[in-house]
Amino acid sequence: MDQSHIRNFCIIAHIDHGKSTLADRILQLTNSISDREMRSQVLDSMDLERERGITIKAQAVRVFYTASDDETYQLNLIDTPGHVDFSYEVSRSLAACEGAILVVDASQGIEAQTLANTYLAIEADLEVVPVLNKIDLPAADPDLHARAIADLIGDKADNVLRISAKTGQGIQDVLEAVVAQVPPPHGDPDAPPRALIFDSVYDQYRGVVTFVRVVDGAFRKGDKLFAMQTGLTAEAEEIGVMTPSMVPTGQLSAGESGYLITGIKQLGDLRVGDTLTVASNRASEALPGYQEVKPMVFCGLFPMDADDYPDLREALEKLSLNDGSLQWEPETSQALGFGFRCGFLGLLHMDIVRERLEREYDLELLATTPNVAYRVISTTGEEILVKSPAELPNPSNIESNFEPFVRCSVLVPSEYVGSIMELCQERRGTFVTMEPIENRQQIVYDLPLAEIVMDFYDQLKSRTKGYASLDYDIVGDKESPLVKLDILLAGDQVDALSMIVHRDLAFARGKGIVDRLQKTIPRQLFEVPIQAAIGSKVIARETVKARRKDVLAKCYGGDISRKRKLLERQKEGKKRMKQVGRVEVPQEAFLSVLSIGEDKHSGK
Amino acid sequence: MGVRHLYVHLPFCASRCGYCAFVVEVDALDRRDDYLDALLVEFAAERDRIGALDTVYLGGGTPTLMRPHRLAQLMEAIRPHLAGDAEVTIEANPETVDLDAFLALRNAGITRVSLGAQSFQPHLLDALDRRATPTQVRAAFHAARTAGFESVSIDLLFAVPGQDLAMLHADIDEAIALGADHISWYELEVKPGSTLARQGAIVDQDFSEEAYRLVVERLEDAGYRWYETANFARIGHECRHSLAYWEAADYVGVGIGAVSTMEATRWRNAPDLAGYIARAGGGETPRRTTEFLDADTRRRERWMLGLRLGRPFRMDEAGPPDHPDALEHLAGLGLISYDAEELRLSRDGRFVQNAILCELMEYSA
Repeated sequence: MDQSHIRNFCIIAHIDHGKSTLADRILQLTNSISDREMRSQVLDSMDLERERGITIKAQAVRVFYTASDDETYQLNLIDTPGHVDFSYEVSRSLAACEGAILVVDASQGIEAQTLANTYLAIEADLEVVPVLNKIDLPAADPDLHARAIADLIGDKADNVLRISAKTGQGIQDVLEAVVAQVPPPHGDPDAPPRALIFDSVYDQYRGVVTFVRVVDGAFRKGDKLFAMQTGLTAEAEEIGVMTPSMVPTGQLSAGESGYLITGIKQLGDLRVGDTLTVASNRASEALPGYQEVKPMVFCGLFPMDADDYPDLREALEKLSLNDGSLQWEPETSQALGFGFRCGFLGLLHMDIVRERLEREYDLELLATTPNVAYRVISTTGEEILVKSPAELPNPSNIESNFEPFVRCSVLVPSEYVGSIMELCQERRGTFVTMEPIENRQQIVYDLPLAEIVMDFYDQLKSRTKGYASLDYDIVGDKESPLVKLDILLAGDQVDALSMIVHRDLAFARGKGIVDRLQKTIPRQLFEVPIQAAIGSKVIARETVKARRKDVLAKCYGGDISRKRKLLERQKEGKKRMKQVGRVEVPQEAFLSVLSIGEDKHSGK
Repeated sequence: MGVRHLYVHLPFCASRCGYCAFVVEVDALDRRDDYLDALLVEFAAERDRIGALDTVYLGGGTPTLMRPHRLAQLMEAIRPHLAGDAEVTIEANPETVDLDAFLALRNAGITRVSLGAQSFQPHLLDALDRRATPTQVRAAFHAARTAGFESVSIDLLFAVPGQDLAMLHADIDEAIALGADHISWYELEVKPGSTLARQGAIVDQDFSEEAYRLVVERLEDAGYRWYETANFARIGHECRHSLAYWEAADYVGVGIGAVSTMEATRWRNAPDLAGYIARAGGGETPRRTTEFLDADTRRRERWMLGLRLGRPFRMDEAGPPDHPDALEHLAGLGLISYDAEELRLSRDGRFVQNAILCELMEYSA
């Protein structure tokens, strides 16, 4: 198809504002799937994603639409994830498009991710088609929110479309606007072929499936492909498009998006962001790529049952096939035995990976306290990347420490401005700016990422009755006086509970952790002192009293089996504990370390 | 040789107590005659299994609601099977018995009374939905004595919602002053399905610890032996029937919900009054569930039951623990001492007997 009849676009939205529902409606309206096949949120193929209402993997779907000008257009809809952890994936989806439908919930209005993604789209020179969704809701206030959106993108409020993806109202108008407003691609069909890899997934049956946006020239089945960044060559065994099922087309031309299958088995070999060309007609210049994704949050994952270690390794290998941003390496803990130190894009990503491991691979896991990666300069001038507290060198060998900072944007109703500022100050934040958006305030702070990794998000929600929305971006690292805080149970240091903290907060954190552990660790047969220490200096201490009574009540009338069953249940509970040295520690204890704000706040 | 221990379940109650989740029948007093007939049918059918009965236990429910004439009829059937010095216990609710009733029970061949007191504090009795007043409890105790019962036990509870240490002291004082020969003093269990559970009663762990230790200490000071986790007796007044359970002896139980264990087999009658009566009328055995106990299960049960007793536990007879390494660890904590034959819980160890058991043994479904 000639490029003037092609539109490549994506949908950007805050989580739950209706992106996936709109995508489903577009597929329905263009007859891409029958009603019988219609499953809500077709594009979210994983169960877990469906449950959480979020989309992790971008996919491209081609549909045909005959517009009011009687011309038929090829529309390539590129799905984007909606959560802050995946903003990296958003930006690479945007690079494959010329336009974006901006979806805003007509009852909730603009949220932090709406802003973040809109700025990304504008920066990427995309034509933004603004849409208010859920106008059928009683709480919808389309006039108010339309004005705000118009302000945001510099358009007129009248141009903001009003739809309900749920009822199907206004969907056609959206497609008309896409055709009319989104510019067609303008690559050179005769130039040497160039295509941007914007995603790749691993399919059990098909191997690595690579999603590309062709910019110049054309790719044909059988072409010898050349990856300009890695220098890798591979044959295009199959070329096609998703409709949303895979349909081979034998060719992809300038302006089109689709998929490629090569003989390549390793997901990492064809890198997202790389430019593909054809070996026999090689392009001279690569397309602008993306900056490589780096995990920001790390934690140790250990099998509850040591025998499951090989299964955990296998599960991580399989997950990595579809999730290039997941990193992992073996880790040995004195307390927890053999496991893996894993790197994630953020906390949500971490939760999702853990849940998938437990659910899809039937593993019982213990996750240690998450932490960020620190950059340490040793006294010998060496630079060390510290991904776990155990890797932090001895203080006498440290010249300086750097920790990652984020620029964090919070959108809240005005009455909560005070509590948000208070929270950000408590978490070592530096105020950047504040400005009104609609009837709310956008507050921008620079914060250490380590503080966000703690219970920042939960605190944000609980202090604003759920009204605050958050987005953040890494802005580099800053020097910080950091110390390693160790936790000792019954006199033994538990490496899995160690954490790196700012020196000024060490005392408060230490006390908080010790208090919470005291509440989470059940009484044992002996007294268990819990201590927080920096080096050899103990800064906080609590004690779990010894259990002084544990007897089962009567077994009446010879009903011995009932009593035995009570024991069986008790024993099951015991199995969910992790033996750490001599102490039995429940799984919650490792995560309770995270919630620092809770006691203080509820105690007010 | 035959089984030497018999349990008879008499499920009728005037009302259900707040903490009760046992097999009881409220509002079914008109079925008592039919139930007695059915019991006699089941007992007759079990006769072949039964040897010289060393102990008989009439438990409930409220067995005394069967009234003396029915109990006499029941005892008539049992009597020919009794060994020479058999212990025959009946549970009694204070508000259901008087001197005449106790005299009749004695004449019927019952030797021991277990009186359900639970507390002597009126408001705690209220909290438990008990019908008897403290005065009735005392009167019933004296009536049993006057009727000639030489072994009278009372049941009490600690960790009742609303109980404090002063109230507990008062209950201990009363129990000792009455001169009970045997005292069962259990921690109140808030069982799922009971009224207390629905009311959301929570037992305070620290109070419960302190209460338990206080009960043990004061009863021992008063001359009672702490012969089992929750049972105290003057010398010679241990409940032989309960000891049989704790020693993992075989026993037969008759009546609804009753459990029997013979070697590797355990069966339990369905807790269904109407069905039980109907099937007995047709000469059928009651509906039962049967459980096969393999050697490991039996061994683990012997540990579970045997560690409750004050006397040393014979490991050589019961079989080894599943986790022998834990022996040394527990000994190091001062909770047990042991040699090749015997394991002995220290005083502190007895208070955490269940935790010790879980360290030593494997229990899985």
